[in-house]
Amino acid sequence: MAIVEPGKRPGPRIERSRVFSKKFTRGKKTGYASLMLTSLVDMFTIIVIFLLMNFSANGEVLYMSKDIKLPDAYHGAQLERAPVISVSGDAVTFDGHQVASTDELLKGDVLGVPELEDALRDERRRYETIHAEDVEHPFRGLVNVQADRKISFKVIKRIMFACNQSGFGNINFAALAKEGEAPRKVALK
Amino acid sequence: MAGAAPQPHTKSGKKALDAEINLVPFIDLLSCCISFLLITAVWTQIAGLQISSSGGPPEPQQKQEQTVDLKLLLTDKGYQLTMPGAAVEIPKVASVSGQPAFDRRTLTDKLRTLKASLPDQTAITVQPEDAIAYDDLVSTVDICLGEQLRNVTVAPLN
Repeated sequence: MAIVEPGKRPGPRIERSRVFSKKFTRGKKTGYASLMLTSLVDMFTIIVIFLLMNFSANGEVLYMSKDIKLPDAYHGAQLERAPVISVSGDAVTFDGHQVASTDELLKGDVLGVPELEDALRDERRRYETIHAEDVEHPFRGLVNVQADRKISFKVIKRIMFACNQSGFGNINFAALAKEGEAPRKVALK
Repeated sequence: MAGAAPQPHTKSGKKALDAEINLVPFIDLLSCCISFLLITAVWTQIAGLQISSSGGPPEPQQKQEQTVDLKLLLTDKGYQLTMPGAAVEIPKVASVSGQPAFDRRTLTDKLRTLKASLPDQTAITVQPEDAIAYDDLVSTVDICLGEQLRNVTVAPLN
């Protein structure tokens, strides 16, 4: 036996009738459901405004590594695009290539770091070759130093010396930019 | 693509005044914008503290007669601010964690006082010991820059 929809069912004669059959025919529901898009558009607009406010045309100047935790700075300037010397607890890298071990730099009293100096001289030569005809972009000796907050000054000193020896006298210390007044971490006596 | 689709005629035959804006292309545009901005977003803001090292050429000061040779030593005992004829010791104090830490607040106050008496002074030489951490060096340079001592030179202590 066929399954039929529950409800009133007219007899075959009434179903065929032009007058009475209309009582039993039901209106078909449309298959389209209208979606409320206004709140969605509002949300999208807010997200776009938030992202536009955070937008930086400079992009990523430094590659943030897990090994390097930068200190905070409240009065820093915008970091310019320049060769980057990264100093972690394990290694010293120049533009991503390891040039020395941090432990090596902690030993001894010699100031020079020959591998780093060579890499910096190559970089300087490359820059000067590229910008040989470009008077507007002379070599400024700009270099960014990105070091972990626990690295001792002995390592930094040797890196600074290597930079000076190679003509990179314009050193920028990288730090995390913070806004507002510096927090008072020190307890008063 | 219809920007606004007019409502159909009503039963009375009058045209409805309400128009429904097609939001689909607008949503498409916003989705593209969000994707682009999320991909290109820079979440960590990096600051640069410009210093000159002791071997580099010093920047000329305009009024040499109104400036002094100001040095700030960072030792394991604390700060030592020296200038010709005077020296100020700022010993380390106990931090929140109990460890001795550099007294940045007192240094800020001292530099502010000095800057008030020597408004043309922009140069300072920061001389840390070898064992001083990069964090302490950067925070000291940051304090100097905050007190308008813009020409910071970093040199080894010995």
